[in-house]
Amino acid sequence: MTRHLLRLIWNRKRQNFLLTLEIFFSFVTLFGVVLFAMQYANNARQPLGYEIDRVWSLSVDTKESSDDPEVKTRHRETYRQLLTALRELPQIEVAAGAFTGPYANSNWGGAIRLVGGRKVEHGFNRVTDDFLELFHVPLVAGRWFSREDDAATWTPVVLNRHMAQEIFGDQNPIGQIIKDERDPNDGPPDPNDKPEVRRVIGVVEEFRQNGELSTAGNYSFGRMRLDGPDPKAALPDRIFVRVKAGTPAAFEETLVKRAMAVATDWSFEVQPLDTMRQDKLRQYAIPLLVIAIIALFLLLMVALGLTGVVWQGVTQRIREFGLRRAKGATIVAVRRQVLIEMVIMTSLAVAAAVILLGQLPLLPLPSEMQIVAGPVFLASLAVSVAAIYLLTLACGWYPSRLATRIEPAEALHYE
Amino acid sequence: MFNHYLSLAVKVLLRRKFFTFISLFGISFTLLVLTVVTALFDHSFGPDATEPRQDRSMYVDRAVMYGPHSTWSSSPGFKLLDEHARDLPGVERLSLYEGDRTVHSYVDGRKISSALKRTDAEFWKILDFTFLEGGPYGTPDVAEARFVAVINARTRERFFDGKPAVGRWLEADGQRFQVIGVVEDVSELRQVPYAEIWVPYTTAKTDAYKREVMGDWNAIALASTKAAMPGIHDEFNSRLRRAELPEPKHYEAIVAPFETKFESFARNMPTTDRKNPDSQVWRLIGLLTGLALLFVLIPTVNLVNINISRIMERASEIGVRKAFGAPARTLVGQFLLENVLLTLVGALGGFLLSLLTLRIIERSGVFAYAHFTLNPRVFAYGVGLAILFGLISGVYPAWRMSRLNPVEALKGGSSR
Repeated sequence: MTRHLLRLIWNRKRQNFLLTLEIFFSFVTLFGVVLFAMQYANNARQPLGYEIDRVWSLSVDTKESSDDPEVKTRHRETYRQLLTALRELPQIEVAAGAFTGPYANSNWGGAIRLVGGRKVEHGFNRVTDDFLELFHVPLVAGRWFSREDDAATWTPVVLNRHMAQEIFGDQNPIGQIIKDERDPNDGPPDPNDKPEVRRVIGVVEEFRQNGELSTAGNYSFGRMRLDGPDPKAALPDRIFVRVKAGTPAAFEETLVKRAMAVATDWSFEVQPLDTMRQDKLRQYAIPLLVIAIIALFLLLMVALGLTGVVWQGVTQRIREFGLRRAKGATIVAVRRQVLIEMVIMTSLAVAAAVILLGQLPLLPLPSEMQIVAGPVFLASLAVSVAAIYLLTLACGWYPSRLATRIEPAEALHYE
Repeated sequence: MFNHYLSLAVKVLLRRKFFTFISLFGISFTLLVLTVVTALFDHSFGPDATEPRQDRSMYVDRAVMYGPHSTWSSSPGFKLLDEHARDLPGVERLSLYEGDRTVHSYVDGRKISSALKRTDAEFWKILDFTFLEGGPYGTPDVAEARFVAVINARTRERFFDGKPAVGRWLEADGQRFQVIGVVEDVSELRQVPYAEIWVPYTTAKTDAYKREVMGDWNAIALASTKAAMPGIHDEFNSRLRRAELPEPKHYEAIVAPFETKFESFARNMPTTDRKNPDSQVWRLIGLLTGLALLFVLIPTVNLVNINISRIMERASEIGVRKAFGAPARTLVGQFLLENVLLTLVGALGGFLLSLLTLRIIERSGVFAYAHFTLNPRVFAYGVGLAILFGLISGVYPAWRMSRLNPVEALKGGSSR
């Protein structure tokens, strides 16, 4: 039976090729949108790694970016005064300095080249000791930065679980030194740069800086000291504060005025993390929304088009169907023939598309866009396959009824 | 004969209303998306009341310093432009301004956030703002760092309830400015003029910007004639080759060409080779064309399918025409005409829908002060796209039609 149907399809190969092509493109589009949405849905279920209740961000613009050690020392001093002044405000529970933080629009990334050449890319942040307490970051092993690191001759780092796993596998990472090497492509080392010895002192569950919809990855924290001896250390860009419960939104003005009184040359921007979170979620959601709306209309268009084409095909073949029914085929059998032809074409399109899409995870894309052949990929594939069969069958349903509406006797000399 | 084809086309389209509807739906939707994107581009880059001399203007808004292992890409700093962009031969006026940044004010316990741009006095001479009251600041105001500000209508609304504002004071980012002029709102998508508050650049809190090679500054050069533009581009590039760079250990060259607005937009594409000072416009156009083709792929295949179905349905009519000696060319022409006609009707629908969509985008407030109009230029692009789309989706079916065997066609059509 299938062989016979295949021959029938082959007989109308040009028309059917175009139909199959249309289904193929539709399937690829559908898969793209589904994968995008499923990735978000999967991300939303993963732990976030912090809490933002009553936390406000104060971003600081020093109006001066300079590597001049004198300028840096001056800035560091102002920062220290700023943090002290803010901590003295009665409304503020905790204040911490950081280079960046949750939902902030600045990301700091790095790459460690492990001995042996394996590269570990990771998000990075340098924070003061209060940061953990302020965001209630759950620590799963070891300890967080504290005064006892002041005297350390190595650089203490805290990793998220994912990064610890990637570097050390199943070994206990606490106390280990990250053995890295210089990339030989980077040219001769700068004699002034002392190689850093990084020792892991703690592991946090997770820290997804870009929020609920971002993809989990490697993240590490470095310690920021404002009174330390290292003149090269980067300065904080932000100050996070957690205010006491019941503090009104109008406190923002007091906060900015206080900050400006301490650092007269600088500019400040205060935002509750709640607001930043909404902006961030919107940033993630809008592209998906636009693409999904366009894809929806494309698929609607395709559905209408397929219905029309199959309908036309069926009208043309009324005599063929009439003959089948005259020879004793039941109504159901004729309808099924139309639908099975549809299924065969869809299967051809889907098979070609799956072979093609299967190559996607092999593409050398940047790590942010890397497509992993994991459960999300497979689930998206499954959902798209189911949806495309549903769509094409729905398109064939009405024409298939049409095929059998005319009596066989009439159909045989239908013009 | 042409009239006859037209009336025949209308009849055929009305006969199968379902097919006509599907075709129109697909065409309208496809052109809706293309028109909205075109309107966004036109609104951002096309000629505009505030920038009437755009065809003679050149911009620097991106600088890239690079060395063997490091690349630093940002807007240029004041120092770079101040030292090298002044007195270029062929330049009538030069304006330096800092990119807009968000500043906050607190008025009676309310927070007002505005976009503030620090500019020089030339800025007001190169661009044509519509002043509702007062006027711009001049060279003396900038030289003496007077705390004066030009604001837009919306800012007047928010700070002064829409009452006359000239002479009144407002506080922004901890500084106090006296309003000397109020201008009409400018769309956020017009990146060069856009801001809500404009103040002399010398009122900056520190003078650190004067020492920065890389920073957040932009330049507009108004060329005396269009012919002078390539010379300005080359002269500035050769001056930059002699520019003194910070951290000479890491960086050995800087690229920051004077370009037209569209060229400098092309420079911001993620895949651009930023070290290349030549125009990147063709890459951008290639990229956009590629994306557009990718987008019309599904609608085109869909329309081709529908068109073939429509032809097969009319097989007997075509058979008769062929049997009476109509050449294939005539038939193809007739069918293409039908298809282009249908596409134009669909384009009209797409236009009405895009008006609606653009209003929705305006209302959503995604782009502040944007006011999209489907002007004759966008209309012409749209009609051009529609005809192209109609031809592309009609050619293959028409060719199929011309190949139909008249004998079989007369019998009700061959499906092969």
